[in-house]
Amino acid sequence: MKKISRRRFLYCSAAFLSATLPTCPALAFGTKNRQHSGADDIRGRVFKGDAPKVLWKWSKEGFLYKKIKNGKVICGICPNRCVLAEGDRSVCRSRVNINGTLYSLAYGNPCAIHLDPVEKKPLYHFRPRTTAFSIATSGCNFRCLNCQNYEISQAKPYEVRSYELFPAGVVKEARRAGAASIAYTYSEPITFFEYMIDTARLAREAGIYNLMISNGYINHKPLLELSSVLDGANINLKSYSDTIYRKLNGGRLQPVLNTFETLHGQGVHFEMTTLVVPGYVDDPDMIKRMCDWILNAVGPDYPLHFIRFFPRYKLDRLPPTPVSTLEQFRDLALAAGVHYVYVGNVPGHDGNNTYCHNCGKLLINRRGYIIPDYNLNGSHCKYCNTAIPGVWEDATNNSV
Amino acid sequence: MKNRNDRAILHVVLATGISSVVTQLLTIRELLTQFQGNEIVIALILFVWLLLGGMGTLMARLVSRSQWQATVRRLAWLSFSLAAISPLQIIAIRLLRDVFFIHGSSVGFYPILGFIFAVLTPYCLILGFVLPFSLFVLRSKDPQYPGARIYILDNLGDVTGGALFSFALVFIFSPLQAIFAAHLPLLAASIMVFSARERWRPLPLLAAGVVLVLLTAGILIEKTSLQPPEGELIDYRESLYGRITVHRDREQYTLFEDGTPLFSSANLVMAEESVHYPLSQLLKPDRILIISAEGGVMKELQKYSPRKIDYVELNPAITEVLFRYGLVEKITGLRVIHRDGRAYLSDTNRIYDAIIVNLPEPDTFQVNRFFTGEFFQLARSHLSPEGILSFSMQGFDNYLAEPQRQKVSSLYNTAIDHFNNVQLLPGQRIYFLCSAGPINIDIPALLMAKGVQTDYIQGYYYGNLTPQRIERLNALVDSTTPKNFDTAPYLMRIMFQQWFAKFTTSPAVFIIFMAVLCLIYLIRITREEFILFSTGCMTMGSEILVIFAFQIFFGYIYFQIGVIITVFLAGLLPGAAFGRRLSGRGKHLLPMADGLLMVLMALFILAMAFVGERLPVLFFLTFGFLISLICGFQFPVALHLCGDDNPAATRFFSADLIGAACGTLFTSILLIPYFGLLPTAAALIGLKLLSIIIGVTHEKNIATSLSIL
Repeated sequence: MKKISRRRFLYCSAAFLSATLPTCPALAFGTKNRQHSGADDIRGRVFKGDAPKVLWKWSKEGFLYKKIKNGKVICGICPNRCVLAEGDRSVCRSRVNINGTLYSLAYGNPCAIHLDPVEKKPLYHFRPRTTAFSIATSGCNFRCLNCQNYEISQAKPYEVRSYELFPAGVVKEARRAGAASIAYTYSEPITFFEYMIDTARLAREAGIYNLMISNGYINHKPLLELSSVLDGANINLKSYSDTIYRKLNGGRLQPVLNTFETLHGQGVHFEMTTLVVPGYVDDPDMIKRMCDWILNAVGPDYPLHFIRFFPRYKLDRLPPTPVSTLEQFRDLALAAGVHYVYVGNVPGHDGNNTYCHNCGKLLINRRGYIIPDYNLNGSHCKYCNTAIPGVWEDATNNSV
Repeated sequence: MKNRNDRAILHVVLATGISSVVTQLLTIRELLTQFQGNEIVIALILFVWLLLGGMGTLMARLVSRSQWQATVRRLAWLSFSLAAISPLQIIAIRLLRDVFFIHGSSVGFYPILGFIFAVLTPYCLILGFVLPFSLFVLRSKDPQYPGARIYILDNLGDVTGGALFSFALVFIFSPLQAIFAAHLPLLAASIMVFSARERWRPLPLLAAGVVLVLLTAGILIEKTSLQPPEGELIDYRESLYGRITVHRDREQYTLFEDGTPLFSSANLVMAEESVHYPLSQLLKPDRILIISAEGGVMKELQKYSPRKIDYVELNPAITEVLFRYGLVEKITGLRVIHRDGRAYLSDTNRIYDAIIVNLPEPDTFQVNRFFTGEFFQLARSHLSPEGILSFSMQGFDNYLAEPQRQKVSSLYNTAIDHFNNVQLLPGQRIYFLCSAGPINIDIPALLMAKGVQTDYIQGYYYGNLTPQRIERLNALVDSTTPKNFDTAPYLMRIMFQQWFAKFTTSPAVFIIFMAVLCLIYLIRITREEFILFSTGCMTMGSEILVIFAFQIFFGYIYFQIGVIITVFLAGLLPGAAFGRRLSGRGKHLLPMADGLLMVLMALFILAMAFVGERLPVLFFLTFGFLISLICGFQFPVALHLCGDDNPAATRFFSADLIGAACGTLFTSILLIPYFGLLPTAAALIGLKLLSIIIGVTHEKNIATSLSIL
C-alpha cells in the first residue's frame, strides 16, 4: 500500500474539513424539534477528589449509604446513587466520602432562612394564611437549566454564606417567628436529608408542621422514614417525559412518580407543580397523559399547579409561557378529573382561587397571598359540606 | 495576454477583499445574535477569524515549498469555494446552534469558542490561503512580482467592502441579500480568471451555477432560517442596533433583540414594580423620563395621569414594533425620543420628577454606562428636588450570591455619592430607589393612599418583600466595594467573572494554552516577523480599545462596528503604498514607525484620561486610521528588508495575522476586563517598546532566523 506523506495528509484533511463542514446546515433543517437539540442528558457528575481533607462543624454521617470495597461508598438517599471513592464529592455537592465514611456537609448551616406565606411554596390546601419558617442549605441532585435558586442549588456548602442553626435552633426560631410550619425548601432538601429529618422530628414533638418543597428525586427507604414526620409537600412534576427530564433537569421521571405514590400511600398531603416551559412542557397530549397517570396512581384530590415560565438562569432565550396555555392545561386537567388545578405566576388570575369540586362555589379567593374570602367550615365546603382535601385550620390530620 | 491574466488575478484579490469583509461583519453580527452580545464574544470571533486566517496563510507557505503548483485554475476554484461557503456559513451559524446546544439555553465560553472555530474553519482557512496563493500564481510567471502590491490590493478590497457594508448594504439588505450582493464581483472575477476558452467548459460553468444557486438560495431561506420552534415569527428586521424579531405564541407577543427576549405582553410583575416602586414615593409625579421600557409599562404610568412622559429608546425599530404589537401602549402626554439615553440627558434642560431606567443587566459596556457615577450625577442634575431615580438589576429569590452582592454593593456605593437616600428592594430584580428625600418602603400602603390599583404589588408585596428580606438585603451591602465608573467599570469585571462562573468555567486554561502556543511561535520567528507580529497586535489591540471605548462613551456597537473595522482597514492602504515607496530608504524606518505608534497610543491615553466622554466620534475614527496607516506602512518595509520572496511574504502575512489574533484575545479577555482601558493601552506601548529594542539592538542581523527570545 502506498504511504501517504504528512503534507498530503494535511491537504486531504483540510480539503475534507472544508467540504464537509458547510454541509452541516442541511442537517439542521431536520432538527426543528427542540427536544433533539443539544445534549440529551445534562445529569451531574461526581466531583472526583473534591472532598475537604477535614470535616467541618456542620457535618453528619450519612443516613443511608453502603460501604463497598476499596473504601468506596454508595449514597442511598437519591436515585443518583453516587459511588464515591475516598475524597470524592457527590453529584449534589453536599456529600463526601472521607476515609470510607459518607458524610453530609449540610447539617446545621442553612444559607437561606425566611418566613414565607405558605401559599408561596405553593401549598394552597395546607393551613392557608399561616407562615412557614423556610430553610435551605446549598446543593441539588438535579441540574435544571431554569433553576430559580441556582445561586445555592448549584453551589457547594463552603461557597455560600451560612448561618449556624442546628435542628433545635430551627424549631426554636420557627416558634419564635410564630410559624405554623417549617418548610425545607429553595434548593433541594433531599440533599440535606439528615438535617431535614432531625429537625422534622423535633418540630413534630413541638407541634410544628413539616413541609418539604422538592423535586421528589429520592429513594423509597429514606422517603418512608421522612414520611413519618412529614405533614405536607409540594413536589415538582417537571414534565411527563423522561427525555425532557434528562435534557432540562438532569434527572429521570420514574423515581419522581414513585415518590408521589409513596407519599400517597403514606397519607402525606402533597401538591404537584408543573412549570410550563414553552417548547418543552407545552404539549397538550403530554399533559393529558400526565393527568391520566395522576388519576390512576394517586387519585383526583391532590392539587396540581401549572406555573408560568419566565426566562431564568441558563434557559434565558425562551419567551414566557402564554397565559392561555396555562388556562388550556387547567381546563384539560379539570376535564380529565383532577379536582383542584391552579395557575401560578399570573397575578390576579382566576386560576389562583379554590372552587369546591362538588358544588363549584368559590371557597378561597386569593389576591396574591391575601385571602379576602374564605368559605370553608373546617375542612368542608361552607355551601355543600363536601370534604375538601388538604390540611385545614381546625384539622390536624390529613384529610386526603 | 499575460497582462490580461494578471489583471484577472488582481480582480480576484480585490473581490476577495470586498466579499471577505462583508462576510466577516455579517458573521460577527450573526454570532452576536446567537450568543451573548458581550465584548468577549466579539473578541473571540475576531480572534478565531484572524488565527484561522493566519493558519491558512501558513498552509500556503507549505504549498510554496511543495510540488503543488500555483496555477490560475486552482485560484479560480478556491475563489468559487469562498463564494459558496460564505452563505452556508451564515446559515450554519443560525441553524447549528440548536443542533449543538439545547434550544433556548445560553452557552458558556468554551462551547462558544468551539462553535466559532467549527463554523469559521472552512471559510477562514481558504481565505487566509488565497491571498499568498494569488501572489504565487503571479510569481509563477514573474518571480519579481512585488508582494506589497497584493497586500495593498487586498486592503483596497477590504476597505471597499467595509465601506460598502457600513454605508449601503446594512441599510438596504438583509444579511443573506448582502452576502449575495458582496459575492457577485468575486463570482465574476473567478470566472474571468479562466482563459476565454476554458470558462465556457462545463465544469467552470457548473461551478459558477452552483455558487449562484447557493447565494440565491440563501436569500430565499433567510426568514425560514429564523423561524422559532415555538410560536411563529411575525416580524423580522435588521435594525442598526441589532436584530429584532417578534414571536407570537397564541395571544402573546414577545420581542427578541439579538435572540434575547426583551419585551413580552402580559408581564405584569415587571411593569408594576418598575413603575410603582418609584412613583408611589412622589406626591404628584408629573414629568417622567423612562429610559427603555417594559411590556405594559405605559398602562401602569397612566394610573398617575402624568402631564409629560418622555420615553427614550435608542433603537427606532424597537419602538415601532412595540407600538405595533401593543407591547407598549400609546398614552396621553407620551413623547418618544429615539436617542441614546445618556446623550439625551446631556443635551436636554428638562427637569423630571422621576427617571426610570428599564435596562437589562449591565453585562456590556453599553449598558454599564447607565450604572456609573457619571450617569447618576447626570440623572441627579435633571431631577426635581424631591425627584427619584429608579433602576434595577438581576435579583434573587432567596439568596444573594457573592458576585451579585459585590455588584449591588458597588452600585449602592456609587449611587449614595449622589443621593441622600438609596433604598434597595429585593425580588427577582433588585430595585434601587434613589432620592434626596426619604423613601417609604411600605409601597402597598402608599398605593392604597393614592387609590392606585395593582394586581401584583397589592397581593404579593407583603409576602415577597417582608421587612426581614428588605433589611437583610440592605445589610449585605459592603461599603468597601469599589464604585463603578465609565472608564473604571468595576461592574464589568464582576460581570465577566459571573459569566464564567455561571457556566462553571474559567478562561484561565484557554489563556494559558494560548500564551504557551504564542510563546512557542515567538521563539521560532525572526526579529522582523516579531515586529510585524507586534504591529498586528497593536492594530487589533487598538481596534478592541476603540470598540470598548466606543461602547463606554457612545453606547452602541452593532452598527458602528462596521465603521470602526473599515476605518482600521482604511489606513492600511495608504500606509502600505507609502511604505512601498519609502522601503528602500533604510532599516531605521521600522523602529521609527514603532516610535510613532507609541506616541499615538500615548496621545490616546492622555485624551481618554483628560477629555474622556467629551471626545467626538471623529477622534476615535482618526486614531484608528492613523494606527492602521503606520501598521500598513511597516508591512512593505519589512518585506523589502527581507527579500520579498514567497516564503518571506507568507511568513510576514501570517506574523501580522497571528499578532492581530493575539492582540484581540489578550486585550479583550485579559487586559481590559481586569486592568481597564488605560493600562491596556500602556501595555501595547510596552509591546512596541520591546519591538524597538529588538529592532535597534539587532539591526545587523536582519533576515537571520535567530530567535528573539
